[in-house]
Amino acid sequence: MKLNEINEPILRVEGVRKSFTSGDRKIEVLRDVAFAISAGESASIRGESGSGKSTLLNLFAGLDAPDAGRIELEGRTRIDAAARGRLIGIVFQSFYLIPELNAYENVLMAARVAGVLNAETRQRATELLRRVGLADRAHHVPAQLSGGERQRVAVARALINSPRLLLADEPTGNLDEKTGDGVIDVLLGLCDETKTALVLVTHNAAHASRCARKFLLHEGVLSPAS
Amino acid sequence: MPWYLYLALKQLFPTGKRLTFFTAISVLGVAAGVWLLVVVTGVMGGFGHKYRGLIVDTQGDIQVRARGLSRQPAEVMKHLEAIPGVVATSPSAEGIVMLRVGNKPTFPGIQGVDIRRVENVIPLRRHIIAGSLDDLDDDTVILSRGLAASLGVWIGSNVEVISPATLEKWQRDEIMLPTELTVVGIFEIGHQQLDGSVAIVTLRRMQDLYDLGEAVHGYNVKLAPGEDVVEAAQRINATLPATSGLYASTWMEAHPGFLFALQMEKIMVTLMVSFVVLIAMFLVTALLLIAVVRKTREIGLLGALGASAWQTAAGFCLQGFIVGTLGTLAGLAAGFLTLANIDSIFRALGSITGSWEEMVAIYQFTQVPAHITAGEIAGIAGYAISMATLAGFIAAWRAAKLKPVEALRSE
Repeated sequence: MKLNEINEPILRVEGVRKSFTSGDRKIEVLRDVAFAISAGESASIRGESGSGKSTLLNLFAGLDAPDAGRIELEGRTRIDAAARGRLIGIVFQSFYLIPELNAYENVLMAARVAGVLNAETRQRATELLRRVGLADRAHHVPAQLSGGERQRVAVARALINSPRLLLADEPTGNLDEKTGDGVIDVLLGLCDETKTALVLVTHNAAHASRCARKFLLHEGVLSPAS
Repeated sequence: MPWYLYLALKQLFPTGKRLTFFTAISVLGVAAGVWLLVVVTGVMGGFGHKYRGLIVDTQGDIQVRARGLSRQPAEVMKHLEAIPGVVATSPSAEGIVMLRVGNKPTFPGIQGVDIRRVENVIPLRRHIIAGSLDDLDDDTVILSRGLAASLGVWIGSNVEVISPATLEKWQRDEIMLPTELTVVGIFEIGHQQLDGSVAIVTLRRMQDLYDLGEAVHGYNVKLAPGEDVVEAAQRINATLPATSGLYASTWMEAHPGFLFALQMEKIMVTLMVSFVVLIAMFLVTALLLIAVVRKTREIGLLGALGASAWQTAAGFCLQGFIVGTLGTLAGLAAGFLTLANIDSIFRALGSITGSWEEMVAIYQFTQVPAHITAGEIAGIAGYAISMATLAGFIAAWRAAKLKPVEALRSE
């Protein structure tokens, strides 16, 4: 596969392989994956269940290590916890909000962990909650929010540290179509405004088509989708 | 505030709730253990402390006893008072007499005190509950409350005293009338045996009753505040000539059996109660481990947000520490409250079970004492907090082993 020719990519992935062992069997999940994305770009990755989409995103985030190949984020090949906190925002299918914290505190948690909690991030948390339409729900705990609202809180949390790269792993997977559309609107709108590179992993063809670049992951091979 | 401390506090005291079930149960578990430890240590320590106070209040810090009689009390006291750390001395003589009112005889212990010196060593006046120490002279006597009650006498009553010397004279057919003394005071120390059967007379009257002449049986010694009694006794013994027949002993040496029994009882009970705290720690460990399992995905999320494994682990460790600290504070407060009312509580329990009289008979005290030192409190607090933190550490270790990507995948 040819490397995408994009100027100054934030994330550059070359020749990445990943396999898992199940009993005596070795399952090759990713084969020679190459990918790059620059600031302000959006890319969608579609694929069947179990095709390795989430594994690929975990590799992008530095949560897992490839068996072979090179992953470079803003020039660094080793993405440690601190770099991940500052440079990458992640939105998960299951939201993963902390139940003991309200929406505002959940958003700020990412800033706390990254060690950048200050007046500016507090103000930014309020602003992000307003932008995702939850200004009046800021002091509600996750149990008091609907699925769509929880995912919008997760989007705000992913963007609180002004990351260079946002990874969204099936963010609408647990939502109905209308709510899912709303979440994608918010996600694309905010990434476009903040020039954050977005990698969206989704099953939904309509959502995938809204990204500037589209990829398909099939049998471990990532290729551009038509 | 570090984020893991913030999260630990939030997980114990979530937004919109006062307490979680985990927090309430864990804090109560630790508090119960600390409360028990404080009460047991306080009560057991109270007996020792009360006993020490009782001995010091009746015999001074150190007793110098003569093998036989000490015949030059003035010289001995001058010698003793020249020893560093000794602030006062008082001579004494003691024995047993027959005290009679009408046809009712009793055989109490009797102590002769030098009324000019005794108050420098023994706070006798503090224990007088009727009459006055100032009225004590060679023709009067002060009785313990129980003795006065058993004889049916009070202030102004007369009692007859027959000493062994009187009996010897009667055996030699010498005519001698019993000594008649007027009761001028009643004292109560709070020790059943002493309050039951003791009479106090002047030293001169005691020397007369026992035919001692100028001799005494020993001396009570008061030390300067903060003086180490064991070292002071050693200092005194080092200066006393072997031929003097005098030996200084501390209050601990004078009553080793009872104090040893109390000490052993305290160690055994404290050891047993310590297991209650240990069980509370198992509870905290179990609950925190359940939290780690329940929050596996959250642990993965924290890793995804940029948390290191040790930071995530620190959050669980801190939860153990916070639970331990809160439980300890609550336990100490409950313990102090219980100790402040321990006498009323024991009396109430004793009246329900009917065991109060037996307890007084065993321990001799008419009030349940409580005494706990700052060192003991620090020891209990340190033990409980470190055990709770250790409980948190076990959970933290498990959390630290979780890889974010595996934690996020967990079902």
